[in-house]
Amino acid sequence: MSNNQHKPFTERVRSVLYRIEDGILVGLLLLMIGLAVTQIFLRNLFDSGIVWSDILVRILVLWVGLVGAMVASRQGNHINIDILDRYLPERAKPVVGIVVQLFTALICTVAAYFSLLFVQVEYADGGTLFAQVPAWVCESIIPFAFAVIAVRYFMLSFENFKNIFALRP
Amino acid sequence: MTIYIFALILILLALLGTPLFAVILAVAMLGFYYLDVSLSVIAIEVYRIADTPVLLALPLFTFAGYILAESRTSHRLVRLTRACLCWMPGGLAIVAFIACAFFTAFTGASGVTIVALGALLYPALIEAGYRDKFSLGLVTTSGSLGLLFPPSLPLILYAIIAQQMNVGAKVAISDLFLAGLLPGLLMVVLLSFWSLWENRQNPVERPLFSVQEAKSALREAVWEIPLPFFVLGGIYGGFFAVSEAAAATAMYVLVVEVFIYKEISLSKLPAIMRDSMVMVGGILLILGVSLASTNFLIDAEVPIRLFDVIQAHVSSKIVFLILLNILLLILGAILDIFSAIVIMVPIILPVAINYGVDPVHLGIIFLANMQIGYITPPVGMNLFIASYRFDKPIIELYQAAIPFMIVLLAAVLIITYVPALSLVFLQR
Repeated sequence: MSNNQHKPFTERVRSVLYRIEDGILVGLLLLMIGLAVTQIFLRNLFDSGIVWSDILVRILVLWVGLVGAMVASRQGNHINIDILDRYLPERAKPVVGIVVQLFTALICTVAAYFSLLFVQVEYADGGTLFAQVPAWVCESIIPFAFAVIAVRYFMLSFENFKNIFALRP
Repeated sequence: MTIYIFALILILLALLGTPLFAVILAVAMLGFYYLDVSLSVIAIEVYRIADTPVLLALPLFTFAGYILAESRTSHRLVRLTRACLCWMPGGLAIVAFIACAFFTAFTGASGVTIVALGALLYPALIEAGYRDKFSLGLVTTSGSLGLLFPPSLPLILYAIIAQQMNVGAKVAISDLFLAGLLPGLLMVVLLSFWSLWENRQNPVERPLFSVQEAKSALREAVWEIPLPFFVLGGIYGGFFAVSEAAAATAMYVLVVEVFIYKEISLSKLPAIMRDSMVMVGGILLILGVSLASTNFLIDAEVPIRLFDVIQAHVSSKIVFLILLNILLLILGAILDIFSAIVIMVPIILPVAINYGVDPVHLGIIFLANMQIGYITPPVGMNLFIASYRFDKPIIELYQAAIPFMIVLLAAVLIITYVPALSLVFLQR
């Protein structure tokens, strides 16, 4: 019984997290469009503009891109070449999947670790980008995104592990 | 020796379906490790995404394209082109080419054109008396027609990468937009002539031009007709920078489709926004990590060495361009267009410049070849999408696409060997 109740709970947590993530992504995009359009109006009508807006918009591009990449990792929907994949025997697919996903997860873990070092250095430097916002805050999305992608690919490979054992009679 | 083993492993992993960003990231890591550079440099390189102002155009045009693809723009576009052009000989085929080219320019060649427009045009072509195989080949080919017209995303991405390379000559997005016009038009014209020739003994329906239908189609599409003028006129009239044109387009499309046509409900909007940004995320991640690997490639002087090797065997520009065409055709069939641009341009561009190829011209050659890659058997993406969408065996699509492929190959040869076609509007 407890097992049955347990599962919907993790599912619920996951769907809440997905919603928050989606919300952030949509919010960032709306902010980006809003700021960019405001900037056009200010420049053309009043010959002025918000000084930090251009920098913020550029950082939003980075954030939108990386959060988008995080969402893409949910189902492993990253751009890849799938020529050989099509011709693999059915039994080999989960095994190949595990190799591919573990490799991706590992690479992202390394990237997350070294990006974190970079952000730490920036934190110690204490530089600001615009309107008192420290640079390290804007950069922190890089290690965060790599870490999330790594976790998701670890989870995908775990799913494949379970599938292999489920296939065994 | 170990380098070759690593390279082999990575290539195998890539072919087995490893996300390309992870493969490129691994290359960059290995490279920097050998150069004794701290791997933290990867974060610095990824952060360069935020140092590239024009990159803003990418998410905004993508979003606009997704909105257009989700609304009934495809219906209005087909109706309007049909009302205006159906009286011409070969009318409906030409209608199909033009409508698809427009639609692809705005939505990207992600298969949306085949799904949205092909589904309207294929039955219409059959009904008008075109043969099944011809019609099938036509809609499959049209799925990537229009890549060379602004504001297509591959043009933007190529310009951004070329700018990052600092190759001397300036490669502005607005230059590429202009450069793609005539080559794109050449493709449409050649394909139109071919469909006239192909159907010369085939009595196809030719309805008369109806002023009333044209008027009503115009009225229906009145909010969307300004879009191309918006983009081109805004940029070349000096009103907008490219990224501003993208912002204006995104906002305009959002307002028109959601509040005026009311074809996208507010509750559906977040999902469309998310999906469009997932695509952008995939591209930007690859772009970010390839900034790192490119930096390593340049540090290790790979393009210069490559040029030396090629130069030793190939002395003429013409032969180089032929080899380039062959390489790009193969790449186009196996790699998706965005990864192909991000991975190959940093390697090919410096070499091509050494052979005296203009960087803007190279961009047009690159994309024109990639466009054919979409319909190249056995793995061109459009073939699979059309096979799935129209429920036809893939072999039938191979046969249907080949004549169109040959026509496009002729276009690519002309584009490659007549640089003026691409460069005539630029002050060069």
